[in-house]
Amino acid sequence: MAARAAVEALLREKKLDRTLTSTLPERLGEDAVAALDVRVLDHALAGRDGLHNNAAGLPRGQVSEVVGPSSSGRTSVAWAALAAATRRGESVALIDTFDRFDPPTAHACGMDLPRLLWVRGQAVSKTSAAIDPAWLPGVRAVSGPGTFVERVIDRAIKSLNLVVQSGVCTLVVIDLVDVPATALRRLPASTWFRVERAIEGSDTAVLILAAQSVSRSTGGRSVMLDGLRTPGPGTRTSVLSESGARSPEPGVIWKGSHDRSRRIAGMRSRASVSAARWSHAQAVDFRSHVINAV
Amino acid sequence: MFAALYAPSVPAAALIDVARAFTPRFEQLGPVVLLDASGLSRLFGSAQELGEHLRDALEKLSPGDTLARIAIASTQTAATLLALGCPGLTVVMPGKEAIALAPLSVSVLDQFEKLSSASAHRAAPGELRRHTGPDLSAGGWHHPRSTHQASRGRRRAPENRLLEILTKWGIRTLGALTALAGPEIHERLGERGAEWQALARGRDGRPMVPWLDDVPFEAALELEWPIEGLEPLSFVLARLLEPLAEQLERADRGAAVLYTSLRLTSRNVFTRTLQLPAPMRDPKTLRTLILLDLESHPPDAPIDIVRIVIEPTPAKVLQWTLLERAQPAPEHVSTLIARLTALMGEGHVGSPRVVDSWKPGAFEMGDFRVVNDDCVASDVRRLSINREIDHRQSPNSHSIKESSIAELKSALRRFRFPVPTRVVVSEGRPVRIQTDRQGFSSGAITQAAGPWRTSGHWWSASAREQTGELRRDHRAGSSAVATGKVEAAFGREGGWDRDEWDVAMTDGTVYRLVVEREVGQWFLEGVMD
Repeated sequence: MAARAAVEALLREKKLDRTLTSTLPERLGEDAVAALDVRVLDHALAGRDGLHNNAAGLPRGQVSEVVGPSSSGRTSVAWAALAAATRRGESVALIDTFDRFDPPTAHACGMDLPRLLWVRGQAVSKTSAAIDPAWLPGVRAVSGPGTFVERVIDRAIKSLNLVVQSGVCTLVVIDLVDVPATALRRLPASTWFRVERAIEGSDTAVLILAAQSVSRSTGGRSVMLDGLRTPGPGTRTSVLSESGARSPEPGVIWKGSHDRSRRIAGMRSRASVSAARWSHAQAVDFRSHVINAV
Repeated sequence: MFAALYAPSVPAAALIDVARAFTPRFEQLGPVVLLDASGLSRLFGSAQELGEHLRDALEKLSPGDTLARIAIASTQTAATLLALGCPGLTVVMPGKEAIALAPLSVSVLDQFEKLSSASAHRAAPGELRRHTGPDLSAGGWHHPRSTHQASRGRRRAPENRLLEILTKWGIRTLGALTALAGPEIHERLGERGAEWQALARGRDGRPMVPWLDDVPFEAALELEWPIEGLEPLSFVLARLLEPLAEQLERADRGAAVLYTSLRLTSRNVFTRTLQLPAPMRDPKTLRTLILLDLESHPPDAPIDIVRIVIEPTPAKVLQWTLLERAQPAPEHVSTLIARLTALMGEGHVGSPRVVDSWKPGAFEMGDFRVVNDDCVASDVRRLSINREIDHRQSPNSHSIKESSIAELKSALRRFRFPVPTRVVVSEGRPVRIQTDRQGFSSGAITQAAGPWRTSGHWWSASAREQTGELRRDHRAGSSAVATGKVEAAFGREGGWDRDEWDVAMTDGTVYRLVVEREVGQWFLEGVMD
């Protein structure tokens, strides 16, 4: 399978892929996907057919998305995909629209940073002195049409197109989490169609990270995460311990019963994975560990 | 593998022509010409066959010359010494240099040293050019071949006292010199004595500095009419770069540094320097890189003369394999990075690096390069694992298991400019937060963990200055100004002194909350996601 991927990559290098890949059967096995190395999520992404073919992960040559509310574990899932790809020796890219990426935490999460191409957008601040002057000229206001936020989004989309067209990275994540819903709706539909065409038949998988569903290609996956439900204020009994009974509901896992010794140990999340040809979505529960060290 | 030619009866220029016919990498040491014979076996066969080819070439120049000497050895020192000391053709197998050199007289070392010294003195005047790059504003440019040789000026031996001492000791051959104990040689004869002993064993004291023609990889075009804008310039660049690329290909070289010099109608010379991450010679790629760079840094007047100078380096050999995933070509990566940098700005594209600091969120940007498997920096990984040992965790959980790397870890989305927030504190703990920014949760805090106090860099002058400024603003009642300054100063080099809290909101959002202790201002620093 590795040899096959290499041959196909060479064909792409010589611009012969369009004529040949259309006649090639679908790729099977682990080369067809970018695994997350998180068993429950990989199995959910594979679906029934994928498990038979030993293909568990994000499908290559497709646009997938990870969607969820704040603190639902959506960024953790995207980072897991990036970390797993870098551990396999692949080059990956992160289009970080509002510059939210935290390298020390990502490194502690197992991401091999030298393999990551980090394209930093511009964080929004009310203090204009903090913003890179190159982003400011000609901006009429912070939000709204033709404004600073739109310029940031526009550059992020252009960066995504440049990265996917170059074929340098095998996994490209675009972070649109903090993009206002109105700005996302204003993006033309051809934006994502162009990305799909650029990666079709290639080794590259594109993952859109957003607060709400944006786009997905026909063979891509949608990972919808549920929001956390935290216990009510002041209810000591609602503090979960590590050894406590497992709750089916998503939530924060606290460790330590006393105010002074308490810390966040992890978060329990629920994901629902769907694809175009599936009759029903695959629901999985998973938990993530909080690294308190950076 | 190196080959040395020594033919006193043949003019030096003719000897260089012979060397050039065999390889583009050669060096002249007085009457000796040293050839880098690596990779020549495909063209000329074994070392013995190569030697015979060289002998035939010399024979054509001066038929019947019995003084011509050729030596082939795995080190340049051994080859040169053997050419100076042994008549005819000498071929030494790798590892046998010391044995082959043993019968030679120690006087060849003196001869060798004088040759090296003379070569260094000839080369010295060009030294300054090496560090400043080519003088593009002036006339021609000479490649600083000599600068590598400048360091050899130390080993001078006008009247050789060392040779005299060795002769008095009864050391007449290189074999006898190598048989002496190294430390004792160093004690009695100093560093130079130890160097002589290393030379006598055939060890190289310096890398080979290949000869480069005085005419460098350079092209210029004076335009009939001044041009403005990048589009017409791209045609001019194509016309200049294509012959240069062919020239590079013929010499088996790639461009390491690209100097673009534009003489403007304002009589100024506008110069840009591009350091390429990998040797490349594709004219289209080079043109794109120059254009993208000029797009970010345009000249301020129309262009009269365009001049391109390329600093060459040995081309990189890539071995493609069908058994591994193909790595992207360096040209593609460089072009992509240049395009992204032109779009996003300097410092917005690259690979992050973890730095050795306890400052929360500290990192630095580096260049993105396609990494081979062998090149992963293990020390960075070690540093990261050390950083995971947290003061918050209990002592028995300090060690991080390697197997845990594949588990899902919670990500922290860090607000590069932390969000100022108002916090209600009860019994020393935050119970409610309020922020006026859109997209952030406000309201009651259901659970909070903390505080974890950290501070650092308070000893640096910039941090003290920053702290004093913030205190003054705070005392003057301009908390908004102080908040703005803290916000702007985040992520920059400076001190910090703060308490961190992890708080869960009623809507399920988990924030990292920070209070700057100097001014008592609360910020949302990130969200766990």
